[in-house]
Amino acid sequence: MTSKLKKILVLGVVTAGLFPAMTVFGGSNPVHYLKAGLSEEPKTLNIWLASDRWSLSVLSQIYQGLITRHPETLELTPWLAEDLPVYDPETLSYTVTLRDAKWSDGSPLTAQDVAFTANLIKEFKIPRHFDRWSFVKAIEVLDPKTVRFVLETPMAIFLSRTLATPIVSKKEWEPVAQNARNAEKPLTALINHEIKTPVGNGPFSVKEWKEGAYLFMTRNPHFFGSGQKIGGRVMGPFIDGIIFKFFGTSDAAILSLKKGDIDMFWWSVQAGYIEDLQKDPKITLFKNERSAMYYMGFNLRKPPFDDAVLRRAVAILIDKGFIVTRILQGDGARMDSVVPAGNKFYYCPPDTVWGEGLSRQERVKAAWWLLKEAGYSWKTPPVNDAGAVVKGRHIRLPDGTPMEGFTILTPPADYDPLRAMSGTIIQEWLREFGMPASAKPMAFGSLIDQVKVRREFDAFILAYGKLSLDPDWIRSFFHSRHDKVRGLNMSGYHNPEFDRISDESATVMDENQRRERVCRMQKILMRDLPYIPLYTPKMIEAVRNDRFSGWVNTLEGIGNPWSFCVLKPEAP
Amino acid sequence: MPSRKKKILEERSRRWRRMERWAQGWAIYKKNFLGRIGLVLLSIFVLMALASFIPPLVDPMYKPMSGVDPEITASTGPSFRHWLGTDFMGRDLFSQLLAGARVAFTVGIASAFVSIVLGTLIGMTAGYMGGWTDTLLMRTADIIMVMPTLLVVLILAALFGQLNIWSIVLIIALFRWPGVSRVIRAQTLTLKERPFIDAARVAGASHLRILFRHIMPNVLPLSFLYMTFRVTAAINIEAALAFLGFGDPGTVSWGMMLQWVWKTGYMFKAPYWLLPPGICISLITLSFYLLGRAMDEVLDPRLRKEGERY
Repeated sequence: MTSKLKKILVLGVVTAGLFPAMTVFGGSNPVHYLKAGLSEEPKTLNIWLASDRWSLSVLSQIYQGLITRHPETLELTPWLAEDLPVYDPETLSYTVTLRDAKWSDGSPLTAQDVAFTANLIKEFKIPRHFDRWSFVKAIEVLDPKTVRFVLETPMAIFLSRTLATPIVSKKEWEPVAQNARNAEKPLTALINHEIKTPVGNGPFSVKEWKEGAYLFMTRNPHFFGSGQKIGGRVMGPFIDGIIFKFFGTSDAAILSLKKGDIDMFWWSVQAGYIEDLQKDPKITLFKNERSAMYYMGFNLRKPPFDDAVLRRAVAILIDKGFIVTRILQGDGARMDSVVPAGNKFYYCPPDTVWGEGLSRQERVKAAWWLLKEAGYSWKTPPVNDAGAVVKGRHIRLPDGTPMEGFTILTPPADYDPLRAMSGTIIQEWLREFGMPASAKPMAFGSLIDQVKVRREFDAFILAYGKLSLDPDWIRSFFHSRHDKVRGLNMSGYHNPEFDRISDESATVMDENQRRERVCRMQKILMRDLPYIPLYTPKMIEAVRNDRFSGWVNTLEGIGNPWSFCVLKPEAP
Repeated sequence: MPSRKKKILEERSRRWRRMERWAQGWAIYKKNFLGRIGLVLLSIFVLMALASFIPPLVDPMYKPMSGVDPEITASTGPSFRHWLGTDFMGRDLFSQLLAGARVAFTVGIASAFVSIVLGTLIGMTAGYMGGWTDTLLMRTADIIMVMPTLLVVLILAALFGQLNIWSIVLIIALFRWPGVSRVIRAQTLTLKERPFIDAARVAGASHLRILFRHIMPNVLPLSFLYMTFRVTAAINIEAALAFLGFGDPGTVSWGMMLQWVWKTGYMFKAPYWLLPPGICISLITLSFYLLGRAMDEVLDPRLRKEGERY
């Protein structure tokens, strides 16, 4: 080896060794990258395909909507829009003026981009978004900064849901849409388009995604909020980037957090870790309410759960207090309606809370009496002649046929141990009553496939996280129109009265009148029980407090764009 | 009836010889120190499994799956009321440990028994019949033998959802017979060349009679020896499955206990919860292994010391 070659090699090695340090210290000014742990790797960065929590977490830093919610008041706040839209009742139109904004590639963000996004969703009927846009008749670009939306009918969700849709760049997506139009299956072609470094309008943009290792985002120098005062806060971002690391298990992530390898674990911390983390002075825990519904759903299309009486008996047997106190360790609240109690405006207490305040024995007796009256019988009833509660055996349906074994599908314990455990405990309660129940944890994808696509199931335990404060989702989940393959009405619930009221609720613009209808919808659902709402867990997040400060607490936790826009590095 | 009397005498003598063989075997077994340890350990686990029915009778809070202490809502250490402490929900860990012993025996013995029955039948048939039957059965055995059992069960669980305990037993059994069948086949190959088999054949005995009347009694001890090793494998596979979250959610097994301690975040905080099931899995597999080794010595004179060979 010649001496020249040796020199080059040595220089190469030294440069390679110094490179990571240079990226961290960036010359005289140190750069501050927040290292955030995700429990799994994002599945995609295609905003139209993303539905998993991890993809959406990353994408929430990249794409922004016109309107958002204020973190404290939860009121609608202009975000990409300069102000709240102006409504013209005569033409049923909303006019929105945009802020001065640019895409992460430096090109201007205009009303054309907004119109393109809306038209794209409407043209391709993009799932998860189309319902919010189906009633928008026309999108008119008045000037580069102004856009007008003309509605077919007044829709209450327009402001809170439709205008929160992430806006994409026309320049980036127009060619993709054009290719998709020429494909045999346009929607499939669109949502399967692979995108690694999306052009966004959020506070950060993707610099590098090394699959299986990390995803690196840097500050978007063109972010519209930088230096602006929005929602009473001066926006940054004041950090230089975010490095997302992926952990298969909570153990590894918590360990990394304690060691300082990550600054934040973007996932709810399990009860067992809390005491230990609280003792660490460099770690801060945030507990926040969630707008979520964890529930047990039934297949109403076939026996035995096509009978509302049986569903009510199951609701009586389920001790939600037990689940909250024991399984959630108190970090959550029981749900007695489909709307979380934290949603103070739209939550309405039901007329009947099934099994409220009853002991286990009283629950068994109440459920037994209810079913006995409806014609159910047992080989060994759960309440004997002396009135004592015993182990019930072999329940029979009103027509005398034995109830066939049924399964309660739950996500597996490695995905959500609390739901898996809830399923197991409910199984035990039902078995002691004489019902042949079996909890069956299964891979999340398979579960969804079984419930939504094949629709071959008896009961399941699933959850909706990040439910919008506007309760229009109740209509989507239970309207008979949505009882279809891949539809949101997974239980197959049909009730013309509910359909009518829910359709009315969507078009009533007066908030109080709308609330009255939403309350009636909740009461109907709690009477018919296509779902039994179980609990809303708290969001418990852990962060290190020695490198960054300024996390913004809000519904659903600190992992929100407000936090990442105002987070500041701690002084050294 | 002299012939009947003769038959009775022959039967008695056969029984006597069998008892004598058992006594000789037991005498050899007793001398094996490790075998004695294995037997003691196994007896403890049998007692645990039998005792698992008692706690729920004492108080419903000792039901291993659904019973909770009304006064405890978090994991607590050992106490007079809960000898090993409670899990995160306030369930008694000692009751769970006893119930786990029952599940371990059920899974271990049931799947080992099924795999031994399959392995013995297939091994005997392959060895005795030879030719294409032998080739077909042994190549099938080879294919199954190289399949990683745990991985296959995990894939099946992912595809079809959680498996119940009997499905797990069956799958383990279906994947663990090839090893036994190979050994039994080898033994059958030597047996079928022996004069007593020729004699049976000349006397007009059918293949089935030769297989089940003359060969099977000679390979059964070997089958039972292998059963002890299969029990160990089955218990380990079930524990691994449960620990990874693919066990039967309706049963409280030691693997399931380990999964709960892991998933609820108490792994490094609650040794009273983590260690007992882990130690039990190790000890029960060790006990079956030691039992197998000692039985190996009983059945194979070459392994005995000089002077102990009969």
